[in-house]
Amino acid sequence: MKRRLELTVNDECLDVEIEPHRTLLEVLREELGFTGAKEGCGLGACGACTVLVDGAPVLSCLTLALEVQGKTVTTVEGLVKNGQPDPVQKAFVDHGAIQCGFCTPGSVMSAKALLEKNSNPSGQEIREALAGNLCRCTGYQKIIEAVGSLAKPR
Amino acid sequence: MNSESYAYIGRKQPQIDGLAKATGEAKFTTDLVLPRMLIGKLLGSPYPHARVRNVDASRALALKGVKAVVTGKDVPGKKYGVFVSRMDETGLTVKARFVGDPVAAVAAVDEETAMEALGLISVDYEILPAVFDPEEAMKEGAPVIHDEYERNIVADTHYDFGDVEAGFRECDHIREDNFFSQTVSHATLEPRGVLADCDVAGKLTLWTSTQAPFQVRRDIIRALDIPASKLRVIKAHVGGGFGGKADTYPMQVAATLLAMKTGRPLKIIATREEEINVRRRAPMSIFTKTGVKKDGAIMAQYLKILADSGAYSSTSILMMYNSGLTCMIPYRIPNFKYDGYQIYTNKMVTGAMRGHGANQPRFAVESQLDMIAEDIGMDPADLRLRNASQKGDTTVSGLHFVSCELSRSIEESTRNVGWKEKRRQKGTNRGIGIACGGFVCGARISGHTASGTNIHVHEDGGVTVITGSADIGQGSNSVMAQFVAEELGIPLSDISVIAADTETTPIDNGTFSSRVTFYGGNATLLAAREVKQMMAGIAATLLKSNAEDIVFRDKLVFVRDDPSRSIPFGKLAKATEGMGHGRLIIGQGQWAPTNTQFPDKKTKWGNVSGSYSFATQIAEVEVDTETGQVKVISITIGDDCGQVINPLSVQGQADGSVAMGIGHALLEQLLFGSNGQLMNPSLLDFKIPTAMECPPTTLLEVGTPDPIGPYGAKEIGEGLLITTVPAICNAIYNAVGVRITELPITPEKILKALDEKKRREKP
Repeated sequence: MKRRLELTVNDECLDVEIEPHRTLLEVLREELGFTGAKEGCGLGACGACTVLVDGAPVLSCLTLALEVQGKTVTTVEGLVKNGQPDPVQKAFVDHGAIQCGFCTPGSVMSAKALLEKNSNPSGQEIREALAGNLCRCTGYQKIIEAVGSLAKPR
Repeated sequence: MNSESYAYIGRKQPQIDGLAKATGEAKFTTDLVLPRMLIGKLLGSPYPHARVRNVDASRALALKGVKAVVTGKDVPGKKYGVFVSRMDETGLTVKARFVGDPVAAVAAVDEETAMEALGLISVDYEILPAVFDPEEAMKEGAPVIHDEYERNIVADTHYDFGDVEAGFRECDHIREDNFFSQTVSHATLEPRGVLADCDVAGKLTLWTSTQAPFQVRRDIIRALDIPASKLRVIKAHVGGGFGGKADTYPMQVAATLLAMKTGRPLKIIATREEEINVRRRAPMSIFTKTGVKKDGAIMAQYLKILADSGAYSSTSILMMYNSGLTCMIPYRIPNFKYDGYQIYTNKMVTGAMRGHGANQPRFAVESQLDMIAEDIGMDPADLRLRNASQKGDTTVSGLHFVSCELSRSIEESTRNVGWKEKRRQKGTNRGIGIACGGFVCGARISGHTASGTNIHVHEDGGVTVITGSADIGQGSNSVMAQFVAEELGIPLSDISVIAADTETTPIDNGTFSSRVTFYGGNATLLAAREVKQMMAGIAATLLKSNAEDIVFRDKLVFVRDDPSRSIPFGKLAKATEGMGHGRLIIGQGQWAPTNTQFPDKKTKWGNVSGSYSFATQIAEVEVDTETGQVKVISITIGDDCGQVINPLSVQGQADGSVAMGIGHALLEQLLFGSNGQLMNPSLLDFKIPTAMECPPTTLLEVGTPDPIGPYGAKEIGEGLLITTVPAICNAIYNAVGVRITELPITPEKILKALDEKKRREKP
């Protein structure tokens, strides 16, 4: 039987009727049209489905949608404000941190969460924060550079 | 003209679709939705080798929401495959040849219904004896997997250049060693997928994750016996390929068939488990015999390679050709013999993967060269320098190098890392190792491989580039735009690229064999120059000058000696359109190298690539002798990819190659159960490197502009990966004195080897 889910996605209050076993990733992609978050493995191993729930990165493929009842979800689409990309998104583009781009939405969200928590992460802290976001194209170096470029010395 | 005077070539250019990817706007196949779209799923065989006697789909068809079930009997049975001489796939099969081989497919209103329907399909199998090991499979009396192939030999490739026996007789030192390179997954982050649509007139459109839409069209029209003009294949955004999406895969055939049958759009997206089970790198057992003179000169080399094909051929004959061919690239080898065999087994299929056939023998040969260097008391870098190929060389196999900076790459990379000092460091568990390699810029062994580009200039000066070249994430759309930007003097933001659509773009074989920049780039240059010539003629009239004196730069078109006589590019476009009776500004380019030959059918002699890349890679590692863990500290690369077009992309290819190489050397291995079933088809159990394992890479560009490549560019996408693995192996030996000859180098193997070494040293 369908259940009612109320949540905020990218600053918009939404409600949707869903089967209780649906994952957050499925609801975002299939019910709400936010296809930025990707399914790379469906097992929480690759991080391509990473979104923010109340500011913290979660694997949306392992999260039941009903678990985010009343919470605030941010997807990669939601980082664009007034038509302007977020500095994290811009840094990924400018530093060549994107090749095929399939892991990018997840990596961007992990990086965003890190920088919100720690405005001046070290290289090691960046690596640790992104260790759950697999990328087969870039070898991670340019992702680490891109995130590092946003570190603000205190 | 050197790169200093270029406006766009050699300058860092973010990908033109980078922002679309960073914001989630880029649409991959999985993101595409059409009204009334159905979801498809494939049913794989639970047996490694079995004939399908009957499929009873009645219970599945009775399930609410199920719209169709198709089986191997619904495809005409016309085989397709990468090579005409090795066509052996049908899409859905009536004889399963590995666990997971698709025997049926279902269309349903949603994924859950489709999954449920799979469980309701009853298949009556006649179980056949199966064989999993290539050596067993090539014995007389082994189960035959494809009737046409005796002893399951799908490819046997032989070279015999010079006089190998005489060459070995001249040697002062000869080594014979065996190596084994394991099987690994491409592990693209995007699982493959396809969306098929059939219109009321019977015209089919496929959006799919592919490296080669024209090959997909060629195969599907064959498999389903439909006219080429009735099928359009469009490459969506592709989330990585690395060779795994270079050939047609069964779900593309099944989706097309189901869309035809239901008259509704239908999408199939692979789960990770299904994704990993489609293609993999071939494991190879490699016997290597190399002979040298006292001074290190290689006199003769012999390789015998046994590769596992899995259940179908895929790229078999090209892979086995490459395994021999690429041994001839980095060093001068006057006498060379090679016997390569690829054998069918009842396991999932092996095929092209970045470096395609070169990686495995490179690992073997480069490891053995270090063993030889130690035997004869020579520095391994000096040994390589002694034998390095040179510009102008023609190998005994007919390869011809119009540019080659391998010696410089050895010299500069060793200097950069402080090679001599670091090799001498004793008493630490750190070590440093070297390996060299080279690769083709598009190997042509049969058929046509030309590339094409059309360019349209719009009335406001905006430009559309329409190319057959498939961007699979490596950034070829951006590189094509760079060529056009340089020629026409306009920024990349004024250029859009439409690529890889069988209906609207020029024909192109696809993205493989490191051919895209080389072939597609040259085609794009020709198209841009045609446009430029037309517009320069008009500009000359308007500016009262000669066409040869017209310069295109910074969105202006002006007279070289008097830049004040100028017209904005957009205005010139408008003016050109209005000239005479009116004209369109369209440029066309098609290109293939003219200095190549097909390899001779019998001897395999021939220059198969217009040019070749060369590279040296130096790895520094630290080995924990307590745990056996290997940590790669740094990788330094001396690379000759000719003129660098986009330093961001080139560094990205280097970083990505190194990461994949670390995975191949230390972490990755697909495992099979006793019934040939893949045992670790997930990213939890098949571990690829994370941000924690990948060290910074130093890329030293040592190339000079190549005379044939566009603006002098050569390949970099594949050639760098092949040297990472042996550089790491050689560094481990330098660090702790153990030589691992079977990949991957796991902590267990290191500890066992250290233990054996200790026992040998203290009897």
